[in-house]
Amino acid sequence: MYDSLRKKNPALYWLLQVLLYAVLILGALVMLLPFAWMLSASFKAQKDVFNFPIQWIPPEWHPENYQTIWTQIPLVTYFLNTAKLTIIITCIQLLTSSFAAYAFAKLDFKGRDQLFLMYVMTIAIPWQVYMVPQYIMMGKFHLTDSHLGLVLMHTFTAFGVFLIRQFYVGVPNELMEAARIDGLSEYGIWSRIMLPLSKPAIATLCITSFVNEWNDFMGPLIYLSTDSKKTLQLGLRLFNGQFSADYQLIMAASIVSLIPVFIMFVSLQKYFVEGIATSGMKG
Amino acid sequence: MGEVKKGSYRRKKNLIAYSFIAPNFIGFFILTFIPIIFSFVLSVCEWDAGNSSQITFVGLANFQKMLTDSTFKISFKNTIVYTIGVVPSTLILSLLLAMLMNCKIKGRTFFRSVIFFPYVASLVAVGVVWNALFHPDNGPVNQLLMALGVQNPPRWAADIHWAMPTLILLSIWKNVGYYTIVYLAALQGVPGELYEASKMDGANAWQRFKCITWPMVTPSTFFVAIMLTIYTFKVFDMMYITTQGGPGRATNVLVYHLYNQAFISLNFGYASAIAMVLFVIILVITLFQFRFEKKFTSYL
Amino acid sequence: MRKRNVLAALMAGAMAIGSLAGCGGGGNTTTTAAGTENSTTAAGESSAAADSASGDQVTIKVSLWDYSNTEYYKTMISAFEAKYPNIKVEPVEASAAEYDDLIQVKLASKEDFDVVFTKGTPALSALVAKGHVMALDDFIAQDNLDLTSYSGLAEQLQLGGQTYAIPFRKDNNLIFYNKDLFDAAGVAYPEDGMTFDEYRELAKQMTSGEGNSKVYGAHVHTWASNANMFPRRTEEYDPFAADKDVLLPYYQTILAMQNEDKSIMDYGSLKASSTHYSGVFYNQQVAMLQMGTWFINNLLENVDFNWGVCSLPSVSGEGNDKAVGGVTPVSIGAYAKHPEEAWKFIEYVTGEEGALVLAETGIVPGYNSDKINEIFDALASKKEGIPENLSKYIDIDTYVVEMPMNEKGREVDKIITEEHDLIMTNSMSAEDGLKEMAERVNEVLGQ
Repeated sequence: MYDSLRKKNPALYWLLQVLLYAVLILGALVMLLPFAWMLSASFKAQKDVFNFPIQWIPPEWHPENYQTIWTQIPLVTYFLNTAKLTIIITCIQLLTSSFAAYAFAKLDFKGRDQLFLMYVMTIAIPWQVYMVPQYIMMGKFHLTDSHLGLVLMHTFTAFGVFLIRQFYVGVPNELMEAARIDGLSEYGIWSRIMLPLSKPAIATLCITSFVNEWNDFMGPLIYLSTDSKKTLQLGLRLFNGQFSADYQLIMAASIVSLIPVFIMFVSLQKYFVEGIATSGMKG
Repeated sequence: MGEVKKGSYRRKKNLIAYSFIAPNFIGFFILTFIPIIFSFVLSVCEWDAGNSSQITFVGLANFQKMLTDSTFKISFKNTIVYTIGVVPSTLILSLLLAMLMNCKIKGRTFFRSVIFFPYVASLVAVGVVWNALFHPDNGPVNQLLMALGVQNPPRWAADIHWAMPTLILLSIWKNVGYYTIVYLAALQGVPGELYEASKMDGANAWQRFKCITWPMVTPSTFFVAIMLTIYTFKVFDMMYITTQGGPGRATNVLVYHLYNQAFISLNFGYASAIAMVLFVIILVITLFQFRFEKKFTSYL
Repeated sequence: MRKRNVLAALMAGAMAIGSLAGCGGGGNTTTTAAGTENSTTAAGESSAAADSASGDQVTIKVSLWDYSNTEYYKTMISAFEAKYPNIKVEPVEASAAEYDDLIQVKLASKEDFDVVFTKGTPALSALVAKGHVMALDDFIAQDNLDLTSYSGLAEQLQLGGQTYAIPFRKDNNLIFYNKDLFDAAGVAYPEDGMTFDEYRELAKQMTSGEGNSKVYGAHVHTWASNANMFPRRTEEYDPFAADKDVLLPYYQTILAMQNEDKSIMDYGSLKASSTHYSGVFYNQQVAMLQMGTWFINNLLENVDFNWGVCSLPSVSGEGNDKAVGGVTPVSIGAYAKHPEEAWKFIEYVTGEEGALVLAETGIVPGYNSDKINEIFDALASKKEGIPENLSKYIDIDTYVVEMPMNEKGREVDKIITEEHDLIMTNSMSAEDGLKEMAERVNEVLGQ
């Protein structure tokens, strides 16, 4: 339609194009503002961070903030711990969630809908309510102050199952019927058909899980007390004292900590581009 | 004989299904579900998480307390307002953005990353920038309003009536990128042939949206709607970091109230009872949406 | 049928977790659990005593905040370990903002912290109420600890007649002023014993300029204590009293300064832009600032101009006889493995040796003596601009703690903050706000 407009009425077409990009660029600028603020704050002196109106260009430049963050707290250790936890949790979560999601979406078994509803409804309970009982219980299992405890607690979530299940539901049943007739087992269907088909959903869960774990604060706050086990988000808060707040250091460390999230996001971009499902359907 | 065979077939089918669920379910049951059950039980008890570990059964006293608790009423109302403000607009906006990002636009990789940014940026930074934009005296938003002839522009976060709308806008801005990604993933599942075929049949853009895109993304809409509803009913961090429920109690929401009840007032029983109310509301909404989904996806 | 099964499963699950939490189930309250806890603690105590007697290495767990960004903790701990070679200190740090909530969770699961620092009386009261910290009276009696060196604050940390903590740090709230700005304006410095009206006048006089270069005469930060500290110092005001009318003249004056004189920054704007009080003072945007004495430490490091201090103004114009502020208490955890050693640590850090380390950095220790005063007076010779009479504002006989010990302290504090918010944003008149504040506080306290 657009192409035909281009031929019929080029002036209108270009006007629309310009408008579209103007809106897009304005929107992008608004979206980028927090990043710009973080970047500018990270180069400021402590006293200038909250100057108002916002000074986007630091009045004095303090690039050494990016050095201080590595020496004042053991940031490297925190980085490695966070990376370890995030990667392990994301991987196991992807695997077990997509596995369970297949059963909820495409297999008919006793109690399926009730069980699924229960899964979804547990998401509705705020963690703040059961975090104390859960912590006490984990303490009995000797899983507090350990990475294993956090991994176990965050890996098996209802959220991941829900997300992938919703994607699987949309996959036409004929595909599975055909595979069953070809003699493929359910496990085979999951690994050979569903998994490749659901790359965009897997990528979405991957991003979600990665971002949540990377930025998780309350979990590590409560569960990790030994310094050598702590994570990045805990480290960031250590720049905030009772009566002082080194926001320039917090922002410098935040900028650094966002780099892995962005690398991951950009590298998963390709799964959102072309219709992967389309190619799968032809086969 | 035939009955037995059918029974064993079904049993086998069930077993296969359970084997799919088991890896996730076992861990989930022990580590999440049991503590949740405990909080269900707590809602009819009194518990202060103290030295004596004393739990006292108090019946419905915690629920009765809600009727006289002014903060509960305020936070309940605020939560509903917040949900109504955030859910439909985020849902529609993210679907529109996803469709736009799915078009062949130059630099869409860039735009997609940019949209996602507020979702990953630290809430502190997001809060500061937002408050600067909406600063009552010299924020750009109010300067624009005054230039347009508005005599007394709203004082946004500093005004009890405008604080909640300000937070609603902030939430939409922060989260729309994430749900756009979810929709983008769903749109990848829409076979291109369908569009080609409909184009040949002479369907216009709206018809294509109504007959192809919308039905095909319904499971994701269901997901987005439920997750957004749950998210808005459970919202906590945003208030905890940006407004602390203020000014006064204008942005105090249920989970923020619940958190204060648990950690400041040490009423874990009452906090759990509030969670139960939250649970029941979300359950009703989810069941309703569940039906809606069944109706729309039955033909698949 | 299925429903009943589900119910049975739920009940079984609940029982399981109930027993995990140490509860006998449902209505049977378990006072015995508390009994056992006490006896095990006692047993732990005696075995710990035996340990230290035999000279074995003991490690004590110390729960605190701001460890990695504060030098004095490290200095103190290494000095302590040098003095007691058989005791090793393991600091367990949490971020300052979340500390109060976190320590509740940790102690609820009976974590074996030996030493527990708390951020103030409201948090300490909550721990005491739940039995998460030990009474120290036996230790105090055993060592004949002289509590008179704590400016009456040790007594204020009692609840139900027992002492649960020793003051580690304390603070007095003062008016900090920028001498350079006063000199430039040719206005006399503020003095002790100002009335609140004089304070308003002075702020008005010191306000000049427009827009970004405007200098405000005073700065009222966004905490509720920035309004109620003034009458609290003179003991007119009690946060737990049924009546809040005593705050009225203070709120009216502060509101007049904000809305009419425009001699202080607007509360709503301050909140919206999360302006930190230190920035505006460092950048010389305000002439006077009401703040706690911890700010001395920040000023030592961050400013080059001349500054001074005086006591808080009040309606009656009371002089410098009383101090007001918060306390940092330190206690022994109820589930401590080594309470004896923990006590040694507390005695050390709250005694003269610890106090000297704190004073050197400009932090006011709970403990006071002539030596401490000398250190504060000597700060002036370290760097230009520091006033010479600091000890006068630290060595004060009556320290009024901002929030007295009360189980409901944090809850009441939250209410006061919310109503303060409404009054200061002009959402409610001061009269109505204080009335609502009183009603809600009374409701919580059951008055």
